[in-house]
Amino acid sequence: MSLVQISSLKKYFDTVHAVDGVDLEIEQGEFLVILGPSGCGKTTLMRMIAGLEKPTAGQISIGGADVTALPPRKRGVSMVFQSYALYPHMNVFNNIAFPLRAQRREKKYNKRSIREKVETTAGLLEIDMLLDRRPRQLSGGQRQRVAIARAMVTQPAVLLLDEPLSNLDAKLRANARDELKDFQRSSNITAVFVTHDQIEAMGLGDRIVVMSEGKIQQIGTPQQIYDDPANEFVATFLGSPSMNMLSSNHFKFGFRPEHFLPKTLNDNPENARIFHYYVKRVEYLGSDRLVYGYVQGRESELTLAKVPSNVRVSLDVESDYEFAVHNSDLKFFDARSGLRIAEQNLAEAL
Amino acid sequence: MALLTWILTNFWTLLLFLLVLLIGLRIAWRLRKYGATREEFSYILRRSPFYFVVLIFCFFAVSPFLIMFLHTFKADGDLYRRPQPFIFRQEPTIEHLDALFNNTAYLDFIRNSIVVGVAVVLITLVLSLPAAYALARLTGRWGERAGILMFLVYLLPPTLLFIPMFRIVVLLGLKDSPMSLIVVYPTFTVPFSMWLLQGFFKAVPPELEEAALVDGYNRVEAFLRVVLPLSLPGIISTVVFTFTLTLHEFIYGLVFIADTRQRTLSVGVPTELILGDVYFWQPLLAAALIIAIPVGLAYNLFLDSLVQGFTMGAVKG
Repeated sequence: MSLVQISSLKKYFDTVHAVDGVDLEIEQGEFLVILGPSGCGKTTLMRMIAGLEKPTAGQISIGGADVTALPPRKRGVSMVFQSYALYPHMNVFNNIAFPLRAQRREKKYNKRSIREKVETTAGLLEIDMLLDRRPRQLSGGQRQRVAIARAMVTQPAVLLLDEPLSNLDAKLRANARDELKDFQRSSNITAVFVTHDQIEAMGLGDRIVVMSEGKIQQIGTPQQIYDDPANEFVATFLGSPSMNMLSSNHFKFGFRPEHFLPKTLNDNPENARIFHYYVKRVEYLGSDRLVYGYVQGRESELTLAKVPSNVRVSLDVESDYEFAVHNSDLKFFDARSGLRIAEQNLAEAL
Repeated sequence: MALLTWILTNFWTLLLFLLVLLIGLRIAWRLRKYGATREEFSYILRRSPFYFVVLIFCFFAVSPFLIMFLHTFKADGDLYRRPQPFIFRQEPTIEHLDALFNNTAYLDFIRNSIVVGVAVVLITLVLSLPAAYALARLTGRWGERAGILMFLVYLLPPTLLFIPMFRIVVLLGLKDSPMSLIVVYPTFTVPFSMWLLQGFFKAVPPELEEAALVDGYNRVEAFLRVVLPLSLPGIISTVVFTFTLTLHEFIYGLVFIADTRQRTLSVGVPTELILGDVYFWQPLLAAALIIAIPVGLAYNLFLDSLVQGFTMGAVKG
């Protein structure tokens, strides 16, 4: 059975449906990423798992026990906040010891075992030399580690992370991502990670939950989500630049810019769809060339191609070329609902 | 006594001497640090008008205290002579200080004021800490309006309320006792300090409390262990402010208590030391000065957080 089970969870703020009927199961030991644009309800969903927000309707159970009505302290979860929320009036040691001291009444820890636990956890995160410092005296990366140490020290059933990397500068972020993943693997903790950054999501998640407008759009591994989007939203939300979308009569079809390549490069032309492509502008981005242009007959819809720089095909501005997309890389969506539809019977209709 | 007399009679000479000494020390220190260069002298010259202006403002701010201090020691005959008021023409005397402490109930006034002040501060904190916290965190739209409404209570002047309040005090059997003030003063200290505290609580990020909730504490513990320590400067300045509110309240103190020995400072001093149109200036000013100095010091210590509290209430409230 799954560690966390969420069923038909809803949260309405007045008329705003922040979370609108979410069903989700989180497995023991997995790294689950909740991805979505800002305002999609992902943080509200996490806050309801933590118990900081009361659901309007629905149920949450952790480890088989219904926790929907329980306060945060009785749920066995811990959380890393976006701002880290370190207690500014305590040093690092006391910050990390704070959750342990909360369980004083149950006499779970004494002074010595608290010291031991804090030091081990701090050692794991390589912040053991900072224990006497105040949060104010730490760098962003160090603060993040302290926040994770504080969340980990009680060995919670679920670790919730609310965009913990967004306050780090870009250089640190890749590093922190790698360390976070290593740490989660080695401690085998169940982590729920909320982010709006698709690179973080793709890089960290065992599974990704894509959310929009309070609803789950798709759940799957990073590869499933990228290669096999369930609907138009998921298709266009992931990938940078995003998927080209062209409309037809009853449906839309999309293909990713990196799959849209000059026909001469295509080794299997009979399985590919050929487009007459007018190149308007080319951006040289180092590793790729980003091509802006139009597919013939669809001049109102800007279509992008991402051609790797090692492909030595000359692409002149304001000229016509033949570009091809592999049939399996063409995705079809219902024009009205945006849902993915089977491709083979429609490919002919193009 | 001889030393005091000497200091007071040579007051102006001493002040001037001290000033010259300070300026000299400052110049000497700079010269020692940077060497006697031409730039250094021009720097000192350039800065001197600034310090001169500062000096004038200092004198302006301090002069009430100065006058109170000097008058305390003046003999009756010296009091109204011109030019006044900074020069001693007769021997300074401490007979008025002596009279203040021994012939009036000044010490009783101080004791009553402190008892009333401390009790009112405690009651105010007990009532306004949770109220302010609730207003800062746990309310929707109506809570905010309720907060404003409660603050409006503070704007009702005691001159409107003292007659009905007097009836209540009599009914409670507290007439002529400082207890009456302890009961009535919270009616204006609670709304006010609640408003101040609310501003301080709002300045504590809500995530810190949420972190404490997730870390295993309940809301009360989160408040005690996280919010309270972080807003301590604000709470202390609220205490100082509430205390001074009770210290200078006049109407209630005058109306509720007729017995001299039960009166507080703000009522007792003017009623005891002004008889008809006779002002006993020296003990009057001494009484005011003695109580003004600790209050002034307390204000100075917490001035920054006090201003912060007012403006936070103004911007975010």
